[in-house]
Amino acid sequence: MNWTEKYRPTSFAEVRGQEEAIKKIKSFIEEFSLGKLTKIRKKSLLLYGPPGTGKTALAHITAKETNAEIFELNASDLRNKEKLKEILRPALEQKPLIKSNKIILVDEVDGITGADWGGVTTLQMLIETTTYPVIMSANDAWSKKLAPLRKKAELVKLKEIPYNVVKDVLIQILKKENLFVNNDILTNIAVKAKGDLRAALNDLQTISKVKDPSSLKLDERNKETDIFNALRTIFKTKTTNEVLGVFDNVNISMDETLLWLEENIFTEYKGQELAKAYDALSKADIFKGRIYKQQYWRFLVYENVFLTYGISAAKKQIRPGFTSYKKPDRILKIWLNNQRTAKKKSIAQKYAHQVHVGQKRALKEFVIIKPIIKSNEKIQKELKLSEEEITYLNKL
Amino acid sequence: MVSEIWTEKYRPKQFIELVGQDDIIQRVESLTNSLNIPHLMFAGPAGTGKSTLALIVVKQLFKQNWKENYLELNASDERGINIVREKVKNFARTKSLGNVPFKVIFLDEADALTPEAQQALRRTMENYSTTCRFILSCNYSSKIIDPIQSRCAIFRFKLLEKKEIEIYLNRIAQAENLTISPEAMEILYEGCEGDCRRATNLLQTTTTISPSVTAELISTVISNAKPKDIKVVLDYALSGDFQKSREKLLDVMLKESISGQDVIKAIQKEIWNLPVEPEIKVRLTEKTGETEFRIVEGSDPFIQLEALLASFVLAGLGK
Repeated sequence: MNWTEKYRPTSFAEVRGQEEAIKKIKSFIEEFSLGKLTKIRKKSLLLYGPPGTGKTALAHITAKETNAEIFELNASDLRNKEKLKEILRPALEQKPLIKSNKIILVDEVDGITGADWGGVTTLQMLIETTTYPVIMSANDAWSKKLAPLRKKAELVKLKEIPYNVVKDVLIQILKKENLFVNNDILTNIAVKAKGDLRAALNDLQTISKVKDPSSLKLDERNKETDIFNALRTIFKTKTTNEVLGVFDNVNISMDETLLWLEENIFTEYKGQELAKAYDALSKADIFKGRIYKQQYWRFLVYENVFLTYGISAAKKQIRPGFTSYKKPDRILKIWLNNQRTAKKKSIAQKYAHQVHVGQKRALKEFVIIKPIIKSNEKIQKELKLSEEEITYLNKL
Repeated sequence: MVSEIWTEKYRPKQFIELVGQDDIIQRVESLTNSLNIPHLMFAGPAGTGKSTLALIVVKQLFKQNWKENYLELNASDERGINIVREKVKNFARTKSLGNVPFKVIFLDEADALTPEAQQALRRTMENYSTTCRFILSCNYSSKIIDPIQSRCAIFRFKLLEKKEIEIYLNRIAQAENLTISPEAMEILYEGCEGDCRRATNLLQTTTTISPSVTAELISTVISNAKPKDIKVVLDYALSGDFQKSREKLLDVMLKESISGQDVIKAIQKEIWNLPVEPEIKVRLTEKTGETEFRIVEGSDPFIQLEALLASFVLAGLGK
């Protein structure tokens, strides 16, 4: 089981490092139930803070501690007013069977984009009319699009969790799991997490499975998580305009993403899809070539479209399920090969000089000229081949 | 010292020893005899005598001093036009020796230079025009920018004909005490594709096995020299195993140091031996041509070839 699930806090007392926020939440809930008859100013709560600081967890705990039922809405539910009403009607009209109260949770409101944009207005209206508290969560409460919501909500800031608290949590969990991880590594994980407890837990769980964790590089792993998600979006989800920006937050270069796609298309697509996807990749590469040759960087737009939307749109159906993606190794193979064939190159170079041809052509014709050089010591002397080069030749 | 490598040992040393290209030789010889040549451009396929003719010209012009007055560069080996310019500058700085008032620079494979690099080359040609003559060689004159073409006398080399290659190879056979059967000669000609250097190399390689050159021996040598694994790459693709096909392709390209264009050439020839419907062969040829175009236009030949392999996977499904 995922440790982030397993050790999710279940009461306010268990939440670490967010004392101030908890105080605010508690007083809001109190006010809300008291103020039902009077007119209170703000009827919703906006929890904001960096990822992994406990926003969703606090919302759920609030419901639990107040004996309320959680009613969760996502961005696409908000898109259509009629649809929203339909969803909410039972929640608003019927009293819950056992529990006496409800909390409406709208997670990640700053993720509302594109087609769901109108949802913000619907959400505003919902906050106006509902008799239940609405809790929203966001990473950044100060973005422009959330301005109308800010007026209606009590803002609660969640801090980054200090590294010593993160480390302490990690130690507690290791005790419960009966595992041991070296102290330096724990410090390392806690510092790298930068206040994101979830990330720290994920790192810890991964590292606890490795025999020699000291060789593991966390940075590298984090980076790859990003590209994995991007690939998943391209290969496994419905093609929407959003796929165009899928690499925006991936911290690797466009050239490298191209290689990642190249290495993984065939594990996802077959037949017609495969051909279409590689055709899109090929077109992206053509634009890349044009950028290099003409230094006309606007072509980057087209390269990106083919890489993201083009490859995503090649699929005929969506295949759910997990695929583990492979790190591209073609460049490494080329490098290794160059190491192996360095001698061949130096021989070809000497030969080329002697017979007035280009090195590249000599290398290309190496299969034909090799027996000539190999069988004749005079030629080897003539080309001034070194001992190593002659040994190399004889091994071929 | 006489070279033991036959392409050098039997490289023609005078105009009269050259085979084929009669018109060109006549014109170049009379230019050389006047001790004043313009910039020259030799365009034509590999192994038809371009470098050889250039060497004869300088030897004829400078006699025993030719090495001091001659610079040979290969555009596809030099890293960037700046290196070329630097070398030309150093070479052109000193005056020529003897009674010829200029030095000669031979730039092989000039069509490997990008148009921008060629513009720079043109400046260099102008700057040193009083002290240097350029002989440019290229496969396609159309890849050389117009301003350079207009500054050169252009000579177009043709592929060597069978009888011309025969004359040349028999010359070697006589000097080396070899016997070449007529059937062997036939196969040698076909295997070299009009490229005299390749013919000479094939002959010398064969004689490392035996001095009597038979058709059978030559065939073995030629088939060894071909990138034969391309067939395996295509077989995997047709059977639907894209992953293996792609792995094999990379393997072949790395092991045999062949370029994307070489692979395309081999694939294009292999299509006719594939077990698919005629209609599909036509479609695959079209795809292959399109891929060759994309390789020229794009940045990563391997990606273009992968896209082509994906088409072969489809062809294997009968689509």
